[in-house]
Amino acid sequence: MDIAFVIINAITVAAIYGLIAIAVSITWSSLGLVNLAYGFIFSFAGYAAWLVSTEISKDPFLIAGAGILAGAVGGIIICLLVFIPLHDKPAFTSRGMIATLAISLIGSQLFLMIFGPNSKSLPDIFGRWKLKFFDITLTADKIGIVVCSVAMLIGAVTWMRSSRRGLEIRAMMMNPHAASIVGIGIRRTGLYVMALTGAMAGLASVLLSQTYYIAPFSGLTPLIKGVSIALCGGLGSVQGAVIAAILLGLVEALTNKFLGGQFVLMTQFLIIILVLMVRPRGISGLVDKAREQ
Amino acid sequence: MSDLAPSKPYIWKNPLSVWGTASGNSEAPSTRVPDPRDTWRKNTTFKVPTHPVGRLKYFLVWPHHGNRTWNRMRWWPTRRNLLNVKGLYNRKTAIPEKKILDRRPIYWVLSFFLLLIGPLLFPQSQMNALLTAGAAFGIFAAINVCWTLIIGTASIFSLATYAVVGTAAFVTSLLSIRAGVPWYALPPIGAGIGLGFGVLIAAPALRLDGFYYALLTLGLNELFRVFFTTSKQFGAASGGLYGADSFIDQKWPPLTQSMVAYYASLCLLIASLFLFRFINGKRLGRVLRMAPEKHEAFAAACGVDFKRARITIFLLTSVALGFIGGFYAAQYRGVGYSIFDFQTVLLGLAMITIGGIGRAEGAVFGTLIVIFLRDVLLELGPWRYLIIGAAMLGVVLFLNNGFFGIRRQFNAWRAKKRGEWRSTRTEKGGETLPEEATESNDKDALYFRRFDKVQRDYLKGLITPEAIEEHRRQPLGQHSEGLERILLYFRRAKLDDKYALHRAGPQGPYKIIAFSGVRGVSPRLVDDREYGTLDDAYHAVFMRRVHDLLES
Repeated sequence: MDIAFVIINAITVAAIYGLIAIAVSITWSSLGLVNLAYGFIFSFAGYAAWLVSTEISKDPFLIAGAGILAGAVGGIIICLLVFIPLHDKPAFTSRGMIATLAISLIGSQLFLMIFGPNSKSLPDIFGRWKLKFFDITLTADKIGIVVCSVAMLIGAVTWMRSSRRGLEIRAMMMNPHAASIVGIGIRRTGLYVMALTGAMAGLASVLLSQTYYIAPFSGLTPLIKGVSIALCGGLGSVQGAVIAAILLGLVEALTNKFLGGQFVLMTQFLIIILVLMVRPRGISGLVDKAREQ
Repeated sequence: MSDLAPSKPYIWKNPLSVWGTASGNSEAPSTRVPDPRDTWRKNTTFKVPTHPVGRLKYFLVWPHHGNRTWNRMRWWPTRRNLLNVKGLYNRKTAIPEKKILDRRPIYWVLSFFLLLIGPLLFPQSQMNALLTAGAAFGIFAAINVCWTLIIGTASIFSLATYAVVGTAAFVTSLLSIRAGVPWYALPPIGAGIGLGFGVLIAAPALRLDGFYYALLTLGLNELFRVFFTTSKQFGAASGGLYGADSFIDQKWPPLTQSMVAYYASLCLLIASLFLFRFINGKRLGRVLRMAPEKHEAFAAACGVDFKRARITIFLLTSVALGFIGGFYAAQYRGVGYSIFDFQTVLLGLAMITIGGIGRAEGAVFGTLIVIFLRDVLLELGPWRYLIIGAAMLGVVLFLNNGFFGIRRQFNAWRAKKRGEWRSTRTEKGGETLPEEATESNDKDALYFRRFDKVQRDYLKGLITPEAIEEHRRQPLGQHSEGLERILLYFRRAKLDDKYALHRAGPQGPYKIIAFSGVRGVSPRLVDDREYGTLDDAYHAVFMRRVHDLLES
């Protein structure tokens, strides 16, 4: 239990929760939707990957692909059920948030009915090899998790920077009204955004189930961690989310080492509250109103 | 026009021709003139299909009570009315009568009466289950009334309500078990804990707004769940902390215990409703009604210290929630971890959403529905939660503000539809749009346009080939009735753009011109056609006017 091990753990956890944080962040800043149904998407993708691994094949690419695809489908479901009917109604933000919470309530009960309360686990998709690096032993799942989530993040950010669709999403982030005036379809862009962020949550689900299990309510902890990171980093900012993920991962690892596991959430929220008291819009969120509905 | 009754042809004889003084035709084929009143009636009847149901303000009207028509009952030491009653003379019958303007107090009293005699109405077989559910209903409704005060009145989107209740319940249970604190001390101690908790989580509320705070409190809720379930003092193994002192004596028969729990939680609900009334209906609530979301800057400019008001409400409500937590511990002899579950928060949110956020009746009604589904319809199994979730989703998707917002939403929708329908049936030509009619001060002009339209409709029916032929033969002099009516209308036209004839040479030819209607501006030439004789030119002008009339 040396400091390197702690830091590696912190980075691994931060990589997974960072994905969800960035998903929450992008959804909020481009669509104005506080999506608290990522827990549902998380379990949805996890169960889809589990079904593929038990029914079809144990090919790691197939399992990960199934998880990502199911996550995207889950995102599109949320978009069709919540964003498209509600986005032009009064009090959209609070109603959207409550609707996503309702979906997560329905979803978790459905999973409970269909798959039962027992948790499922995925096979190791990265194998069981190890890498010695000076004194540090890096296991396959840790390297895989970090590489996959960084690759997903870089891919998503590149796509958003260089493609036409990404340009539309960034325009929506700046000013949704003006974006719709210049011919960017709000609903269509909503579908892209939700599919992209859902895919991120799906990948996070597959990666996290390398260490944890898939259960009807297992999406809650990643959701809350992701939301806290997004909150701390500033909703709508990718680099803020990355910084916050590393910061909170470090706090978690250090608390684990020096204080004990039950104080992790407490120190994390202390840090988050301190950050938010100094910068109410998060580490790199805009100080003024970030997004006017 | 085609929709008028077909005119019957006949031979018109010039009545002046008998004396030989007649100018014009001595006789001409013509048509019978229809009754102008038919056109008038057709134009002035209300053609929209109407139904006996409209937007009637439906008031309970009492007959007058002699001299007591203008008397009101008042809450004793105050001047406050028992009911918002208005005594007045009926404007049509001139009979004095009384109207209840706000009937909600009556409904509240009736529903409380029903809750009060509830145990008499419950079927004997389900008595125990229903009493237990009723007790849960009372406590949850009290919590939700406080919560709706935070979300609705103070517009602080806090999801940590159940965390406050749970913390107060856990700490008071622990005190009761460890230190032997009696049951009557638990709610006040809980209130103190609630206050401390409120101060703690109100600090971020000062800086954060809206959804940042919601997300933060969601995390705080989870933090407390993890803290209490993993700490050793709070009995991590048994799924909760039980064994606190209670006002329900375990030596009583079970039915009495349930009854006492039922009525105690009912009292708690009434107390929380009074709290709602005294915060939302008085100064604090009114101050905040001036500062709704996104208009805070305006309210602040008017001198409303909305932050202070919000935090005051938040703290008062936290005290109440802590009190409820202590009460919870005293009623159930402790508390389970499930109060911190995400599921509990979701169910609570479902309760206040279904009824309508920001209204006490919404919180109570939503709680009733959700508790009934959850605790009474047990045979539905896991479907209960699916139904609750679907109801929550449906309400959020289709209703602006829950069940009790339906009325306002429906009225707004109907007003919108009414405007649409009105604009589709507005007739063109002479009719004025309602907006124009209300903005114009010259109502005479409006009436003239309506009359003019009716007249033009009538005259269109008189233009027949016979009339045109009659005019061609003899433009001047006595004419048949139909043609004469047309010509009178034409002659009476306003001077702007009225047609006239211009004689190009001493003996013709003639050209048609139109007056400008403005002094000093010369008439314009209508077209280049020339007419050899004056009668031809007269007829050309007539044809032009007929054409204009049929176009209009």
